[in-house]
Amino acid sequence: MPLFFLLTGCNIAVLDSRSDTAEDQAFLILFSFALMLLVVLVVCVLFVWFVFKYRYTDEKKHDIPPDVKGNKWLETAWIIGPLLLLAVLAVPTIMMTYDQSPVLSSESEKDGVPVYVTARQFNWTFEHENGKTENNRLVIPEGGSIIFHLSSEDIIHSFWVPRLGGKVDVMPDRELVYEIKNPQVGTYDGKCAEYCGIEHTSMVFEVEVVTAEEYDRYLNDR
Amino acid sequence: MEITLFGNTFMMPSDVLAAWVFSLILGGIVGFLILKKRRLGLLWEYMITTNHRKIGILYMLFGIIYFFRAGLDALFIRTQLAFPNNDFWVFQGEKYNEVFTTHGTMMIFFVAMPLLLGLMNTVVPLQIGARDLAFPFLNALGFWLFFSGSLFFNISFFLNMTPEIGWTGYAPLSTEQFTPGAGTDFYVFGLQISGLGTIFTALNLIVTIVRHRAPGMKMTRMPLFTWTSLVTSFLILIAFTVLAIALYLLMFDRMFGAGFFSGTEGNPIYWQHLFWIFGHPEVYILALPAFGIFSDVISTFSKKRIFGYPIMVLSVMLIGFLGFMVWAHHMFTVGLGPMANTFFAITTMLIAVPTGIKVFNWLFTMRLGVIRFTTPMLFALGFIPSFVMGGVTGVMLSVSAANFQFHDTHFVVAHFHYVIIASTILGIFAGLYYWYPKITGYVLDDKLGKWHFWTFLIGFHLTFFPMHITGLEGMPRRVYTYAESDGVTGLNFTSTIGAFLMGISMLFVIWNVYKTYKEGRKVGDDPWDGRTLEWSVASPVPDHTFDPMPVVKEIDAFWFAKAAGEKMPVTDKVRASPIEVKSILPFLMSMTFFFLSWGLTFAWYWMSILSALLLFGLLVIRALRDEREGFYGRREKDES
Amino acid sequence: MNREEMALFKDKKMGFFIYLGVEVVMFAVLFATYLIFTPATQGPHPSEVFEAKIVILSSFFLLSSSGTLWLGERALKKKKQAFFLIGLGITKLFAIIFLGFEVYEFASFVKEGYGMSASVFMSSYYALVGLHAAHVAFGVGWMGVLFVQYFRRIPLTLFTEKLSIFAYYWHFVDIVWVFIIGIVYLPYLL
Repeated sequence: MPLFFLLTGCNIAVLDSRSDTAEDQAFLILFSFALMLLVVLVVCVLFVWFVFKYRYTDEKKHDIPPDVKGNKWLETAWIIGPLLLLAVLAVPTIMMTYDQSPVLSSESEKDGVPVYVTARQFNWTFEHENGKTENNRLVIPEGGSIIFHLSSEDIIHSFWVPRLGGKVDVMPDRELVYEIKNPQVGTYDGKCAEYCGIEHTSMVFEVEVVTAEEYDRYLNDR
Repeated sequence: MEITLFGNTFMMPSDVLAAWVFSLILGGIVGFLILKKRRLGLLWEYMITTNHRKIGILYMLFGIIYFFRAGLDALFIRTQLAFPNNDFWVFQGEKYNEVFTTHGTMMIFFVAMPLLLGLMNTVVPLQIGARDLAFPFLNALGFWLFFSGSLFFNISFFLNMTPEIGWTGYAPLSTEQFTPGAGTDFYVFGLQISGLGTIFTALNLIVTIVRHRAPGMKMTRMPLFTWTSLVTSFLILIAFTVLAIALYLLMFDRMFGAGFFSGTEGNPIYWQHLFWIFGHPEVYILALPAFGIFSDVISTFSKKRIFGYPIMVLSVMLIGFLGFMVWAHHMFTVGLGPMANTFFAITTMLIAVPTGIKVFNWLFTMRLGVIRFTTPMLFALGFIPSFVMGGVTGVMLSVSAANFQFHDTHFVVAHFHYVIIASTILGIFAGLYYWYPKITGYVLDDKLGKWHFWTFLIGFHLTFFPMHITGLEGMPRRVYTYAESDGVTGLNFTSTIGAFLMGISMLFVIWNVYKTYKEGRKVGDDPWDGRTLEWSVASPVPDHTFDPMPVVKEIDAFWFAKAAGEKMPVTDKVRASPIEVKSILPFLMSMTFFFLSWGLTFAWYWMSILSALLLFGLLVIRALRDEREGFYGRREKDES
Repeated sequence: MNREEMALFKDKKMGFFIYLGVEVVMFAVLFATYLIFTPATQGPHPSEVFEAKIVILSSFFLLSSSGTLWLGERALKKKKQAFFLIGLGITKLFAIIFLGFEVYEFASFVKEGYGMSASVFMSSYYALVGLHAAHVAFGVGWMGVLFVQYFRRIPLTLFTEKLSIFAYYWHFVDIVWVFIIGIVYLPYLL
């Protein structure tokens, strides 16, 4: 399993982060993965060891094993151990959750380049600050914060650009705000991640992160 | 193809036609065999029975039938996803959505639930020295309600009206405006009816476990399968009731123009809350009984008592309790805010602790033991590392900020299949192989069992391991295709191979059951050198058990009696047993639910009203034919 | 009751209490639904919809029916058959009157244009109070069966048992009504 990740790791979309937001998320994924790998390894070592050592052989045919009821110390150990491990994991989790959780737009105090995202069955509309709109193609400037204001015209969709971070649900009758920090120049795939009906699969869009000047040109090019 | 029936024209696509043809042929063969072998009597016997073992068999039988059906759905899904931009049969767009909806719904409600309830029904009374479940009539009603609900859900496919809202039925997609067809109604009523049956059975199990234990069988001496069944039953009572109300409200939205889950006033997130307050405990409803089965199996085949019994019981309770406090971890991306996200992240992490305790205690049960690699034990051994892999991805998913990336991708699909298949499905297989001799008197073939185990386990890992990576590669769940450029072709193809390997492994089960039926080896009452009370009664279990009633002095009392070379002490001071009845009423009552729902679905209100009246009539008949009338009257004369 | 009958009765009692637990969860979720959606920002405000007179009248009949049932049960224990029949009869009568008020109330709401779709508040009101009314209606039918059982002269211990189970149900339905008064009506009538 670790080998698998190492071999393919740098190409996996979610880990190949192209924004600070996605980078934080990738860090959490790898961090939790490393901690959990430790757990899997401990269990697997004990598992193989016990199963091999105490397997049935013909000499043991009439053996009656000792009547062990339990062991207070061991049991305490595997209560405390996981708790410590989870405490280590909880710290960055809480920090980044507070930083990144999508909120209702009425509660948002974030600054940055606003983009208004409207979803419907089965396409996307992106409206920029000066009123320029485009369907299924999102152009944003590199660096700084992009503040997405998302809402849906019909049912629940979900806004996701794996390499830039995400995702956040797009709800009808309420507006959510999600921030993507410091995206890097490039072209990325975006998609709807919440099942939304017949053509859910084809509800995709393209994201182009461009330089600030190009973004200005894009906004003014009508 | 178009067919006109009752003035309505139905479109009949080729997959539906295939289902009709296949079902008619299969039904014809089964009907012919029944008539030829003159087994109509047997059929009738099972329709009127209230015996816990027979009802258990019915549960398991239908669980397995639906397992094949939902498994076939899975194969369709995997075939469609085998190659990029694939066009397999009809399974794109709408049909694909239907097939993953039925796959999920059936596997949870009509496969895992009945198989577990069937095992509980059969085994729990035997493990605690009860002669039947406390309310035999109610038990039969519970099963037939499950049957009628599952039938109602399944029939939608034959009418080409399959629900296509995912097993989670998220509003507003599931409201009238976006899925106006009858499909969603089949989902609503199918789950409502079968859920009612599940609640009755859970209630029955609780009363049985609390009040019908053999003398000396204290709660602290009960086998762990019984313990987990008890805790699970409590979870069912709360979780399924919440689901019932969620479906009730959705029905109001769809049929009577209410607006709970959509519109400017309604709130689609409320559906998600209700659904996951049911849905997350449901995961533990599926997992806990499997934990119980593994505890019993590992203990038996290591020839050792379970390590740390008290903490095993406590951890089950703790899991059950925490299970109700984590539901919103399915909703990290809906904008509940950082506070709620953090709270639910932490509670979710905490649930790993009692689960971890259980894993280590299983490992240390095997330590110093003598491990026999029988088929049930193999499934238990396969469970431990597989389940831990699913468990740790669960912890990864609980990291709420990372979950923004994982959510609704194939990573999640990988995770929940890892936990549910590793615990519930492997647990059910372990349980079926383990208790098959107790139920039928024959032991299943070990060699074929091992073939089944290895092909299933390898197929399972081959299917779901690559999904972790496809998810991280950006593949959302519930999509019917992907592009070559997404870079997930090889991984998806591997998954497909794995799925077919799992499919093949199930053929070994059919072969095994057939072979055992034809040339099976009759076994004694105690083929595995068991530890708990069920191995002290005859195989197959007779209708009247525990006569004389054993007295239990310690945990694993049967084992220690054997070890001491003694018989278990018995007593004739037995509390009143549940009274067995034979009645067709449970079957009829549940069928009225079927037609009631049918009427509501198609707005044939006369049919609903008629069915409701019939139901009340049947309830009155039931009240007037109380089996206790004879029983009570007889005793009363002695007293006065 | 002898020992064996007692054991079976206790089974049934426990099973029924668990069932009432299920009902508690059910109504709790519906109360929660009501609290979440009421008052709605659009559509009628609860204070313009509810009418104190009907609530007071229907409450009087339903709540006192718990008392008459209790009296009837006590009369049966003291072997005063006639009193018992009167008690159960009045209980049933009161329940029917209550249902009459409910039907009247619902009908007048609908007539004023406050139907199911008027607002999400009305929807949650009907989902909750309607389910309660269905419980009362079921109880009325149940009492009918109890009368039949009584005249069929089934063993007395069995009949007492059936009556106690029904009494648990009926008192429960009454308690739910108390909560409905407190949560659904009172805040908007005061």
